[in-house]
Amino acid sequence: MDKVEIMEQVTNIVTKAKQAPWRVQRQWIGLFLLGFVAIAMVAGIYLNVTARTAVSGREIQFLQAGISANLRTNSDLETQLASLTSAEAMQRRALALGFEPVDPEDITYVVVPGYVPDRTVDLSSPQTEETVRPILLPEYSESLFDWFTRKLAADLPAGGQ
Amino acid sequence: MIKASFWRYLTVAAVLLLIGLGNLVQIVRIQASPEVAGVIGQGDYIWKTFYPARGEIYDRYGHLLAGNKTVYEVGVDLTAQPKPDFPTITLAAQITLGLDPGETLSLMMNAVPTAQYVVLADYVPADKAQALMDLQELSADDPNGLTLDAVGFKAHLMRSYPEDDLAATVLGFVTRDNHGYLGVEEKYDSVLAGMPVSLLIPADPRRALEYPHIPAGQTLVLTLDRELQSAVEGILDEALDDTGASSGTIVVMDPRNGEILAMASTPRLNLNNYTQINELFPGATPYNRAISQAYEPGSVVKILTMAAALDTNTIRPDTTFFDTGVIVYGGWPIYNWDRGAWGTQDMTGCLAHSLNVCLAWVSTTMGNDPFYMYMQRFGLGHPTGIDLAGEVPGRLKLPGDDDWYAVDLATNAFGQGVAITPLQLMMAASSIANQGQMVYPHVLLAQVQDGRQRFLSPQIVGTPISADTARTLSEMLAIGLEAESSEALVEGYRIAGKTGTAQIPEIGGYDERDINASFIGWGPVDDPQFMVYVWLEKPQTNRAASVVAAPIFRQVVEKTIVLLGIPPDAIRLQIATGQ
Repeated sequence: MDKVEIMEQVTNIVTKAKQAPWRVQRQWIGLFLLGFVAIAMVAGIYLNVTARTAVSGREIQFLQAGISANLRTNSDLETQLASLTSAEAMQRRALALGFEPVDPEDITYVVVPGYVPDRTVDLSSPQTEETVRPILLPEYSESLFDWFTRKLAADLPAGGQ
Repeated sequence: MIKASFWRYLTVAAVLLLIGLGNLVQIVRIQASPEVAGVIGQGDYIWKTFYPARGEIYDRYGHLLAGNKTVYEVGVDLTAQPKPDFPTITLAAQITLGLDPGETLSLMMNAVPTAQYVVLADYVPADKAQALMDLQELSADDPNGLTLDAVGFKAHLMRSYPEDDLAATVLGFVTRDNHGYLGVEEKYDSVLAGMPVSLLIPADPRRALEYPHIPAGQTLVLTLDRELQSAVEGILDEALDDTGASSGTIVVMDPRNGEILAMASTPRLNLNNYTQINELFPGATPYNRAISQAYEPGSVVKILTMAAALDTNTIRPDTTFFDTGVIVYGGWPIYNWDRGAWGTQDMTGCLAHSLNVCLAWVSTTMGNDPFYMYMQRFGLGHPTGIDLAGEVPGRLKLPGDDDWYAVDLATNAFGQGVAITPLQLMMAASSIANQGQMVYPHVLLAQVQDGRQRFLSPQIVGTPISADTARTLSEMLAIGLEAESSEALVEGYRIAGKTGTAQIPEIGGYDERDINASFIGWGPVDDPQFMVYVWLEKPQTNRAASVVAAPIFRQVVEKTIVLLGIPPDAIRLQIATGQ
């Protein structure tokens, strides 16, 4: 058997193998499974992200409910404290402790240079709403296009030159 | 020939496909199910009404006068599984909440067929609700299934007044429908309550951040001083006991800026029990006499007559008048309070002795136009505009009115035939105490919203008289009190003031038996920091304001100077001169 015959036989075998029906079908099944796995992966990622977002949303709802409950509790405690320190209660306690209402003639006034009493209440909050607002990084809310735009804008020279 | 592995692959693929299809079918089924439709309401969005918390009310030093407390709405979920056991729930509600068992059972049994939830009670105090919650927890493992699992609790806020009836006539109250009535609660209802908002909010929890932020109602800081208010109410209550007066009013104001420091009136309502209002205020009983009841105040109005006469140069302090004890004007004789003749008097004497005849002479010498022009400049016949609900304008008859007669010019001069509220007279008198400038009386000091406190600027509503007239008249009034050794005087402090003893009008004339006793005063004369008005209606122990009202004025001033930290004149002048 010369070389040419041997090559023809090999070519025939390869051709037959390539054209075997089971091989074609396996290729199709492989392609189908590949597509299915790809879709499943995307679906899985989507499901995972959606589920985590939903869980976060629920947590936010719970936190909002918690804030409402805390505000109610705060109001309750403030009112209870005010009841315990009401004018009538404080007078009663002061009298029980042996204090007496002062008469004008019992008061000694002392001059304190530079002292200016400013006794009206200031109920302003030490922190305004803006300063306590939760910080959410832009990466969590912007699109890919927004991200590119932001990055490109940041790399541009100042003044748009 | 098909290999065996082919079928294995095909089987796996078919199973996966079936699982996928199953998932799809399940998704469609859940989306279309009535349970989900019930949860998500009208699709992706739910209508929800947000009720912001009602703003609190504080006094000027930060004492809470009106706050909020948690109460509960208790109801039953009729769709709960296992089905709610009505008798068990009824019994539990009777024991813990004190609900009538018949009514409770009827509410649940007679609910409309489509009802999913029925409210058993609302505004349940926290301690009672907690008792029911404890019972619910205890019954959770009941072997017979007699649980309270279907009982639900919805917490919400309700107005609460920690000081009960303190400053009740100023504050007003809030009913269960969250509407303010009377006083500050009504005047600033929309500001305190905030704006309830009904919105479509996303049912999808992934969009929780889209929920709106509903700002709470604004918090108000009042000009009231709680300690002074408490002291003034105590003095007033004691005064009614001592004098047998049917009612009373005391107001303390800063004449420099119109801030009301204390405002007491009887009767007073326990604001936590506002449903008693009809029993406590029967018929047309005014809620706050300082602003809601106009009356003929008598001689306290003489300060306005004298101010007008001085300002128009009709008289001077040393102008003399020979008092014969009677003056006839418009066909009617007018007498002094004691029916006596006081001979020659200067204008300071006329005020000091409160001579009706003299003041009638002063007003009639001025004439209609200047007199009534000044009375209108002083604001008589018009509401002061104070930021409290329920103010009345009083009545100043004017020439040309059907019921105005010539004699009114003479009687109005000493406060008869004219109806005004205590606050109207205080506003008018503030021009005398405050260098001619009349201030706007108000109770709101500041508003707090979003963590920021904004103070309100005091307003001058007019300058009815000159600064010279104001100073001259204040001096005349102070001299008058000192000359009479008035019961209103406070040692160490120079006070200007005037009594008012007035007959009470009735159909066909005046009541011969009862009087109104009033006193208005301010001090220290050279730098007024307080103005006090006292009115006792129908005191029984004495018919003279100098006897019944002036001592009450003194008591109030003694408390005021202590609580406001106003030193005696000598020390104050020492501080002012730096010695």
